[in-house]
Amino acid sequence: MSLGEDILTALTGYSSLQAVWDGFLSFTPSLFTAFARIVLPILAIWLLVRVARSLFAGKNEPEIWAWLILNGEVKLAVNHWENVIGRGSSCDILLNFPTVSRSHAALIRDAAGNWTLTDLAGKRSLLLNGQPVEGSVAAHYGDVISVGGVEATLCELSPEELRQQSKSRTKPGKLVSPVKTLLIICCFDILLATELALNSDRSLWPVIALCFAWLLLLMIFVYLLFRGMRRRGYEIETLAFFLSSLGLTIAASAGAHAMIKQTVALTLGLIGFLILGLLLRNLQWVKALRWPVAGAALLLLLLTFLFGETIYGAKNWLQIGSFSLQPSELVKVAFIFAGAATLDRLFAKRNLYSFILFAAAIVGALALMGDFGSASIFFVGFLIIAFLRSGDLATIALSCAGAGLAGLLALTVKPYIANRFEAWRHVWEYASTSGYQQTRTMVALASGGLLGVGAGNGWLYKVAAADTDLVFGMLSEELGLLIALSAAASLIIAALFAVKSAYNGRSSYYVIAACATGAILLFQMMLNVCGSLDLLPLTGVTFPFVSNGGSSMISSWMMLAFLKAADTRQNASFAIPLLKFGRRAVKKDE
Amino acid sequence: MNRVKGRTISLLILCGIFIVLLLLFLIDYEQNGAKWAAFPGNSHVYSDGILTVGTVLDRNGVVLATVEDGRRVYNEDKTVRKSTLHVVGDAAGNIGSSVQTFFADRLMGYSMINGVYSLHGTGDNVYLNIDSQLNVAAYQALDGRNGCVGIYDYTTGEILCLVSSASFDPANPPAVEEAADGVYINRFLSSTFTPGSIFKLVTLTAAIENIDDLFQRQFSCNGTLTVGDEQVTCSQKHGDLTIGQALSVSCNCVFGQLALELGADVLSRYATQLGLLDSFTVDGYPVAAGSITVDDQDPGQLAWSGIGQGQDLVNPCAMLRVMGAIANHGQAVSPHLISNSASFFGIPISLHLFSDQERLVSEATANTLSQMMRDNVLNYYGQDNFGDLAVCAKSGTAEVGDASPHAWFVGFVADEEHPLAFVVFVENGGGGSAVAGKITATVLRKACGQ
Ligand SMILES: [Zn+2]
Repeated sequence: MSLGEDILTALTGYSSLQAVWDGFLSFTPSLFTAFARIVLPILAIWLLVRVARSLFAGKNEPEIWAWLILNGEVKLAVNHWENVIGRGSSCDILLNFPTVSRSHAALIRDAAGNWTLTDLAGKRSLLLNGQPVEGSVAAHYGDVISVGGVEATLCELSPEELRQQSKSRTKPGKLVSPVKTLLIICCFDILLATELALNSDRSLWPVIALCFAWLLLLMIFVYLLFRGMRRRGYEIETLAFFLSSLGLTIAASAGAHAMIKQTVALTLGLIGFLILGLLLRNLQWVKALRWPVAGAALLLLLLTFLFGETIYGAKNWLQIGSFSLQPSELVKVAFIFAGAATLDRLFAKRNLYSFILFAAAIVGALALMGDFGSASIFFVGFLIIAFLRSGDLATIALSCAGAGLAGLLALTVKPYIANRFEAWRHVWEYASTSGYQQTRTMVALASGGLLGVGAGNGWLYKVAAADTDLVFGMLSEELGLLIALSAAASLIIAALFAVKSAYNGRSSYYVIAACATGAILLFQMMLNVCGSLDLLPLTGVTFPFVSNGGSSMISSWMMLAFLKAADTRQNASFAIPLLKFGRRAVKKDE
Repeated sequence: MNRVKGRTISLLILCGIFIVLLLLFLIDYEQNGAKWAAFPGNSHVYSDGILTVGTVLDRNGVVLATVEDGRRVYNEDKTVRKSTLHVVGDAAGNIGSSVQTFFADRLMGYSMINGVYSLHGTGDNVYLNIDSQLNVAAYQALDGRNGCVGIYDYTTGEILCLVSSASFDPANPPAVEEAADGVYINRFLSSTFTPGSIFKLVTLTAAIENIDDLFQRQFSCNGTLTVGDEQVTCSQKHGDLTIGQALSVSCNCVFGQLALELGADVLSRYATQLGLLDSFTVDGYPVAAGSITVDDQDPGQLAWSGIGQGQDLVNPCAMLRVMGAIANHGQAVSPHLISNSASFFGIPISLHLFSDQERLVSEATANTLSQMMRDNVLNYYGQDNFGDLAVCAKSGTAEVGDASPHAWFVGFVADEEHPLAFVVFVENGGGGSAVAGKITATVLRKACGQ
């Protein structure tokens, strides 16, 4: 032995440099994990706080689309595309005169800027330029509208007023810098990827590096793209990227193939998200496409029903070549797309009935396929859309009663369905049979505590379907309950943002679509999380963005476009066209 | 638009439901997380159902069980292993009250923040209050007979000695089907037995507080007390007695009569007040609750109950707590098995910050009982057996059908230097003071270094 080696041994206890390096490598994962398990939750919570602040703390001034000048003096702002005029307190334009009906007229603007006046009272007391309005007529700037004898002139905003409006409305990013948020999520992902790689087999390193690098590229690309479009709202995408990076970690437990598949699905989902967002800019196109989309959705389900593959007891997979997909996921997007409606359609009951039929067909088809989880998600989506459209509790109650009866019928015809629920609330008594998954979820979750045992260090992934059904447990075990709860909080924030968007919504279509998206994502997550924790029966639905599964990833991303289309903050969303005034668009708004 | 805006409350309700469900879960987690983590299927800390982390040590730092190369290993001395079995536990988890089973979460160093994670991954050290050498002495004194010995410091609550027998060697456990009957049961914590004469202390407590002229009375015993169809008998005619003499000679006739005079309600109220009928916890482990069945309509049964026979059942640990209360002027300090658990870096966690006390009897009554139990030793059991320790005690010989009676010896040392309360129980062992008293003397001398 040389002198150098002697000194080395004396200093480090290792006999060669190679041994020192190996020793270093063997200690690194546990030391790095000890560091990352503290820093990751801090970053995650910091990220969520920033996103929530950016979404909710900033002022959101209403938009003004036209003026109604009352008796030549009082200037009433028209704040939405779809406005109900009347005496009732829920009217958008309140005319508190005894001659005015509760809901007297609807004043509606289309995407191109053309106004329509619709009579809602049916008492021949709505006049446009002195002519009684029956049904709907086009209204132009300068026209005089007489509502029950109250005269109002529809006036255009001057270019100066428009410029002032777009200047004075608060833009996102003022309060919370989006670049800094982007930096935080990048740090989070790099740290997460490093921890995951160190705790994984070395053969997985290239794939982990590749997938997470691609994720970072996508995040930066989307950010730059929006910047180029002079859009500053990046919060919803941040939430989705945050969840997607957790999803990659989950997929890593299923191997390199699953990780690559998930990354591809994420990319496809992002493309679908961008395309759908651009399409939603134009309400005219959307209205024209609603029925074709509904038809396509039903056709897709029919095909699945006829030719579907049965996996885990539900016949809900469609095999196309070597490519398999879960059509019910894509149908969710179509369901919202076709289910949301503009105000003019909300007045006729007939429109609601056709929606009920559409929804019943989907829920029924899924129940027949044995996919009760998805069926219940669509049912909740239906309830939310139906309530937003009609505000009619009787319809809701009737639907629930109908679904309850159908459920009872299903239980009497196929009593084995009840067996699925035998362990519910008693999983510890069935710990080695039907409560196996839930008990293991709780055991793994408790093992992780608030901070987790480190990405890649868990064992819950070995349980059947853990990477789809038990992801809340997997996240808690490996990354800690704080991050698992952050994931849940992400979708709660998204749902709350949908609610907030209703306050300055342009068209009820966007508001209903956004709220339906919020409800479906939230309820799906609720079934997944609460099912794995034995708070609800385990139904085997996915956690949006996080569960391993391409179809779910794609549809979750696409649904987000509906949230973006409802984001009416100034210069926020790419799914909303920038206002043009005068001859050219405002250039200087950064 | 305003209308649609109002209807978005439906989505808020959905959010609310989810948040409520999450909160319910978090409460559940806070309360049961330790139990979940200690599930034997948890491969972070178990391998094939055997706990692979954590070290159990006695009060002097003697390692009773630890992990080497992923295997559980026990103390090298076989008698230490056998005498501490019911405290330490076996690898298969058959002994429900043991540290390795019931307190597994402490061995794995579970905390709500870190779960079972630790940088070193070897779990925690759990220090017990017991002295393994004292356990060995007690186990050897039991000499293969079934029973239990429990000794605790009635001022601090530390359980210094806890032996349950029959036992086996956890290093070479028998197959479950070959194991002796009841070998997995911790007789001290998890069983109840017919108390016999030691229950007279309960009747006496009630009598002291409810019969004004108890100490002026002259009792008489002609060897038999006839109550309805039942005949309560003494081993001999005791003749005329004071209450103190009646306790010393353990006169069944006198105590049967006292029970009748007190009535069923008073008797069961005192049994409850002394903590004999309800379960309480030792570091979270619920001890078995005792029971008595008394009814004024059935005086025969009531008389039998007053002398610890009939349907009476008591738990040895609960009896020990009563002894502690009498010794400690009426205040019972809760017994504790675990001293503390310290993580790898030696930082002790979950110490008992304050001793939890409960008053079981008034100070005056406790002092009277002490004096009378001291007289038992001085006048009847013989001080010679206990060296110069001021032992106060009551023996019990509990008839159990045709089998040999259970032997009991319960009491305490009235000495600030050695504040020890004890319960010695030998199943079908024979005479109380002769059998159990002898074991007591051996173990107490050892405990007090004599
Ligand atoms: Zn007698």
